[in-house]
Amino acid sequence: MTKGSEPQETIYEHLRSKGVSRRDFVKYCGALAGTMAFCGVPAPVEASGLPASLAGPQADATPLIVRAFETKPRVPVIWLEFQDCAGCTEALTRSQSPTLGDLVLNEISIDYHETLFAAAGFQAEENRDAMMQKYHGQYVLVVEGSIPVADGGIHCTIGGRTALDLLEEAAEGAAAIISTGNCSSFGGLPKADPNPTEAKGVWEIITDKPVVNIPGCPAIPEVTTAVLLQFIVFGTLPELDDLNRPKTFYGQTIHDRCLRRPFYEAGKFAKSFDDEGARKGWCLYKLGCKGPTTYNACATIKWDAGLSFPIQSGHPCLGCSQPNFWDGGGFYQGQSAPLNRPGAAAVGVAAAAGAVVGAGAATANRMKKRRAGSAEPGDEDA
Amino acid sequence: MDWNATLEFARGPFFTAALFVFVGGLTYRLVRVLTLGWSRDRVPSAGSKAGGVAKSYGKGLIIWPFVPWVKQTFAGNAVTLIAGGIFHLGLFAIIIFGAPHMLAWKSMLGFGWPTLPLPIIDWLAAAAIAAMVALAINRVANPLLRKLSGPAEALNWLFVFLPMLTGYMTTHHLLFRYEVIYSLHVLAVDVMLIWIPFSRISHFVFYFFSRTIHGAQFGKRAVTP
Ligand code: SF4
Repeated sequence: MTKGSEPQETIYEHLRSKGVSRRDFVKYCGALAGTMAFCGVPAPVEASGLPASLAGPQADATPLIVRAFETKPRVPVIWLEFQDCAGCTEALTRSQSPTLGDLVLNEISIDYHETLFAAAGFQAEENRDAMMQKYHGQYVLVVEGSIPVADGGIHCTIGGRTALDLLEEAAEGAAAIISTGNCSSFGGLPKADPNPTEAKGVWEIITDKPVVNIPGCPAIPEVTTAVLLQFIVFGTLPELDDLNRPKTFYGQTIHDRCLRRPFYEAGKFAKSFDDEGARKGWCLYKLGCKGPTTYNACATIKWDAGLSFPIQSGHPCLGCSQPNFWDGGGFYQGQSAPLNRPGAAAVGVAAAAGAVVGAGAATANRMKKRRAGSAEPGDEDA
Repeated sequence: MDWNATLEFARGPFFTAALFVFVGGLTYRLVRVLTLGWSRDRVPSAGSKAGGVAKSYGKGLIIWPFVPWVKQTFAGNAVTLIAGGIFHLGLFAIIIFGAPHMLAWKSMLGFGWPTLPLPIIDWLAAAAIAAMVALAINRVANPLLRKLSGPAEALNWLFVFLPMLTGYMTTHHLLFRYEVIYSLHVLAVDVMLIWIPFSRISHFVFYFFSRTIHGAQFGKRAVTP
């Protein structure tokens, strides 16, 4: 993927220039409306120029999308990767509705992405700087990976500059910021105890702009594309919860929508990965499932074009979209278990401390009694 | 409020601290009792001490709770016996055989055991909670019990009732988001653990202690405890 084409051309014009007919264009918008239905059409529709009455929850979003694509240029996207594994990018390349290919060819122009970019080295950096200047205030900044701040941020550098520096510079001119994955949202794996690099999520650093967190390990690609699409079509960001996650996708727990839930209610649990319960599809709570406290849309959108998701495939939820999930107890340890297993030695120390204090108090009492000369009969035997 | 952080705190450092206070506090209490003084055993035993202990437990754990008319408790205050019994039964069944509780034990002890199905646990929990309410009313309504009750009794009741109520609500996802009510449940348990050694709830240890001593004494004198 090379430098995106001229973003000032509208999306519709861009599609026409590629030979897409009007009929196919409207069909395509209808298909995207299906994706938008995930999030419902947001109330402020000024961006579309159509009457608000069209934007009720039941309204068909197709005309809004048609209008937006006819009037808007492709949105420039700058994608920064810091302390990450590129898993979110990997997942996004397998997005189904719309596919990343659709998005990139039609609605967005990715102007900088270390993994997908053909350019490399100084050439790529120059291209990014030029794009940031040209589209100052218009581009969407997507961040993948956490940002280390220890020792001035030197634990992650690209082209000789720290992640912290690069992020602050790119965030300054961004119209919207999206953190994809647990690392850029909440610090993820790099933040796991003892967090030697002092890894942080974007929203802990950039506080003067709305940051949409799409946590997950990786983030569900359809959620990322739906958020991007909403920004392209309506010029708005989705409604967010107190952890800055889109409410539509993170409003319910995995447990709320889990297909194994009836077994949970009936107390039927798989106790190992190959017992009768596992074969019968029973609840995975005893195998450490974190579904009850994990907010994400895996159970509804699923993965690989709605094929399956971990619990459906027989693996307990790891809670990968929650803050600090790496430190949330063992993956296969029951969620009700204490986070740290107090060692026998530590418990012994507590008991010994109690015994010492008790014995000390008893000795003090006895001495006091002796001094008062009021020892009771029988005490001398003690 | 960040309930994820609250839950982490309740399951993590606060639980560890509560467990230490619980273990240290109970050991302290035991040592204090043991160092009160023992009389030297100068008289030869007329009977078997071990037999006395066995009889004492038999009566205390089997006969009196389930054949109540041999003792005054039932005639004196039936609510205390019935509701008290249901409460103790429900409580122990749940904290040992409830699936989430077994997992908590397993993580600390290193081994687990079979659990009871949720519907059974559920009824036991509901019965235990109802029994606790009945016991509270009984305590206020009965003139004798009212005289015996002070703030400590009210707190004992509260610190046991809160974990039970929040536990029931957690299981059924009632009123609050799961992580909120789950945090409240674990916090309530932590507070109870800290409270136990310094309250009469410590009878769950001292009961066995005193029953052993009494049984041995009765056995030694060859009288029926
Ligand atoms: S498998 Fe997990 S999410 Fe599903 S019902 Fe069981 S505990 Fe809940």
